[in-house]
Parts: sequence; C-alpha cells; structure tokens
Amino acid sequence: MGLSSIFGGGAPSQQKDAASSAKTSSNPIAIELKNQIAQELAVANATELVNKISENCFEKCLTSPYTSRNDPCIDQCLAKYMRSWNVISKAYISRIQNASASGEI
Amino acid sequence: MSSLSTSDLASLDDTSKKEIATFLEGENSKQKVQMSIHQFTNTCFKKCVGSVNNPDLSSQEEQCLANCVNRFLDTNIRIVNGLQNTR
Repeated sequence: MGLSSIFGGGAPSQQKDAASSAKTSSNPIAIELKNQIAQELAVANATELVNKISENCFEKCLTSPYTSRNDPCIDQCLAKYMRSWNVISKAYISRIQNASASGEI
Repeated sequence: MSSLSTSDLASLDDTSKKEIATFLEGENSKQKVQMSIHQFTNTCFKKCVGSVNNPDLSSQEEQCLANCVNRFLDTNIRIVNGLQNTR
C-alpha cells in the first residue's frame, strides 16, 4: 500500500473495486455511496498524517522559547517522514504477508 | 460532491446493500492497517531518525525503522501470549 492510497489516489484495490462494482450492480446510488465513503476515509488519513508530521517536525525543528522559525528543517523533516512512512508500510505489509502465508494469522 | 438523501439510501436493493457491506468490510480492514502504519511511523520515527539535516533516510535509519516495526510486533505478540497464559 503506497502513500498515495491515503489521498484516495490510485490504490490498485480501489480501482479494481470501482471496475467490478461497475460490472456487477452499477446502481448509481451504491456507487455514489462508495465514493463518498472512500473520500471521507482519504480525508481522515490525510488529516492523521498532517497532524503526526506536524507534531514530529515541530518537536525536531523548533526549540523553546520558539522565537524563530526553521522552515528548511521543516521541509526536510516532512520529506523524511514520508519516506519513513513508506519504509514502515513496506515492512509491516511484508510481515503481515509472511504471517498469513505461514498460517499464523 | 452530491450528497445522498435518506430516501436514496432506503431505495437500495438487497444486491446493492450486500455489495456495500462487502465494500465496507474491505475498507475497514484497509483502514485498520493504515492506522497501524500511522502509529508505527510516529513511534519509530521518534526513535530512529536523529537529525533532519537532509531529506533522505540513511541506510541505518531505514534499517532501524524496519527493525522497529518488527520488534514492536514481536512485543505485541508476546504480550498477548503472556496475558493469555495468566488467565
């Protein structure tokens, strides 16, 4: 699962869902409902990410008594956090896949 | 975004209801994984990333992040087992 999926963009499973729902029911109300749900989840995920990055980068880049800002640090921290997100995502998902392949879960 | 009314929802047939239930189940488990990743990144970033002088992760940092997730999960499993044994 890539970072882009949390913004509602191009998760392969979502594309497949949309394609298969178009084939099976294609009830416009059902499609609209699914889109709204997916949209709200994407917003919730983006909000969570923004809050966590703000918290972590504020911590790393700014010090009491907070007289000056440190924008270059914030920008680098943001990039570093997103890369960390991707590393963690890969490690966690491969762990889930290994556990399910060996029948642990 | 057009919003759905209550009567729109009431008019859904059984096939569509089932389809939406399946969809929700899938989104729900995807969301659980997403929230865990948020939590692990928050925890492990604090522990593994020292300086933010450049936007790239060092190979040590990257290794630390992956180890951090795996040790966290090991811990989680051990805790669950430990609690089960004390019952």
